[in-house]
Amino acid sequence: MRILWNEMKKILTWKSLLLLLIINCILYFFLIDFYIKHFPNGRPALDSYRIGIEMIDKYGPSMDDEEFKDFLKTYDAQVKEADQYLQSDPQAVEEGIDTYKKFMDYDWNNAPQEVWKIREQIFFEEKVNTFWELQERERLIEFHELKEMEPGGTTPAQKKQYAKLAKEGIFGNYPEIVITNFHDYISNVAVAILFSVVAVMSPMILRDRTRQIVPLQYTARKGRSLLKTKLLAGFLSTLLVVTSLLVIYMGLYSLNNTSMFFDVRINTFIGNESWYNPTFLQYILFTIGGIYLVGIAFGLAAMGFSTIVPNTLTLLGVQIPFVAGFLIFGLNRMITFPMNMWFPKWQMPVFFGLLLLSSLIFVWYVIRREKKMDIML
Amino acid sequence: MIVVKDVCKRYGDFTALEDINLEFTNGLYGLLAPNGAGKTTLIKMLATLISPSSGEIQYNGENIVSMDQRYRELLGFLPQQFGFYKNYSPAQYLFYLAALKGISKQQARIKIDELLAKVALSDVKHKKMKKFSGGMIQRVGIAQALLNDPKILILDEPTAGLDPKERARFRHLLTDLARERLVIISTHIVSDIESIANEIIMIKNKRLLYKDSVEQICETLRDAVYETTVDFSQLDEFRKRFVLLSEKQEYGKMIVRFIHKGDKEEEWIPVHPQLEDVFLYEYQDEMVEGL
Repeated sequence: MRILWNEMKKILTWKSLLLLLIINCILYFFLIDFYIKHFPNGRPALDSYRIGIEMIDKYGPSMDDEEFKDFLKTYDAQVKEADQYLQSDPQAVEEGIDTYKKFMDYDWNNAPQEVWKIREQIFFEEKVNTFWELQERERLIEFHELKEMEPGGTTPAQKKQYAKLAKEGIFGNYPEIVITNFHDYISNVAVAILFSVVAVMSPMILRDRTRQIVPLQYTARKGRSLLKTKLLAGFLSTLLVVTSLLVIYMGLYSLNNTSMFFDVRINTFIGNESWYNPTFLQYILFTIGGIYLVGIAFGLAAMGFSTIVPNTLTLLGVQIPFVAGFLIFGLNRMITFPMNMWFPKWQMPVFFGLLLLSSLIFVWYVIRREKKMDIML
Repeated sequence: MIVVKDVCKRYGDFTALEDINLEFTNGLYGLLAPNGAGKTTLIKMLATLISPSSGEIQYNGENIVSMDQRYRELLGFLPQQFGFYKNYSPAQYLFYLAALKGISKQQARIKIDELLAKVALSDVKHKKMKKFSGGMIQRVGIAQALLNDPKILILDEPTAGLDPKERARFRHLLTDLARERLVIISTHIVSDIESIANEIIMIKNKRLLYKDSVEQICETLRDAVYETTVDFSQLDEFRKRFVLLSEKQEYGKMIVRFIHKGDKEEEWIPVHPQLEDVFLYEYQDEMVEGL
């Protein structure tokens, strides 16, 4: 236990914590901050978010056909509000757009400037919620009405899944703003955590080798089994780093105030057809689990490379293709859209399996190699 | 007792050591050879850092590699390049190594104080080692090798970086230690071990050349070492004819110490051979190649 603790102290030095801070500050301001600061990002995103909350309040985590009728009623009431607004505006009446229908049917492409001014006043000067919300409601109504329409070019497996969802009455008719924001946020968080793990774990074993401490370690009672302890210390440190960063990033995410969507199932969000149908909260937990697995796999791989390569430059160089490969092929399939029907169903589990298995095999090889190799330092 | 049995070490086509057979009991053994002769390879094999390509090393009849932890428990080792963490103090570093050696915290605390006093580092025990001189670092290295009170102490070039005073102190320390344990020191500095080693081991052309007491090894040059005075003008010619061991200028002439196996000339003064004479004689080719 003392040895394990000592090895962990060697990894989590104030220097490595400073490095973590720098990496995360940079990546936070370049990649992540936007999705917290600008959520919902303007309008009609804000209206989409508000209507989503209203739908959850009124209909719960899904909306059936009866509830949809109520939704239409709300829409009609809001249209009346818009009519009243327009009728109270002499300019609008003068231009002949005294109802919301006329307002919508107006040929805005050839509209004179005075009429444009009316529109600008409604949307941008007075920011009349009714008009903004009506647009979003119309979009939601449209999606609800087209809910059973299947996109073209689907594979047999996708067709089957669409049929299954339709049979169970699961359709995408809730605003997708929250889950889209989460996709963007979590993928960038995953990148920040991946870089953090690789940066902190990479030098841990190489440092002992370049400082020629290994001969002292391997001739002590503990001997070459110290490598296993170092790997365990690295594994625990990886968990610690990932957990700490996740606590911070999920804490920041909580500022987006999306907890009311937690019970909505992911297939209920528009355009989010998925192979599995967990609730939004379960989905968040799943992606967190995914980040842990990716962090552990890359942490183990970084330690493995650290045992083999001759210097820091090679250590960084050798890991770049793996990290780039993950960002190009793995990130979307494993973290951003792990359950999405855009990707074949087998890809997510296979990618996770391959990533973990290859890193475990690599570490096993490194341990075996170290057991017998000549220490030439 | 350590027995090295028919040990060879090859790296691909290159043979570092061949047919090495040795026995070590308690006492101090000096492994003496020029740089590159295979001292460190042998030392690393004794420390289980390198495995023999063939043959084996046994401790009390058991293969040291199979003994695993039980062998390392008996071992204290100072490598040629003593590695350390620059930001650690000697006390911190020794605590770290004590954990690896399976020494409890309480025992380690007592032992570390005792050893740091022994190597005269008590007053800097909490100072970061990045500010230490080479000699101070080497003394930390010696202290760590003694942490577990080893039965077998293996030191690879332990006096590198030590000043003459430290070397003398170190020799005293080794003499004390060798009373009740096996100490093997590898060095190319004859004076480090000449006066303290029970036996000297010399390796030449990858094979064992001598394993004997200093006296017995010196006997090999009995009646072959002389000193004489030579004019500067004759010095070049003299160098060509004999193996010169040392040259010293005195009163405008050169006093040379040299080896000659055969009839002596009248003005030559026979002298008692020293270990350094044997070293210079045996490794004369390697020295010339080295130059």
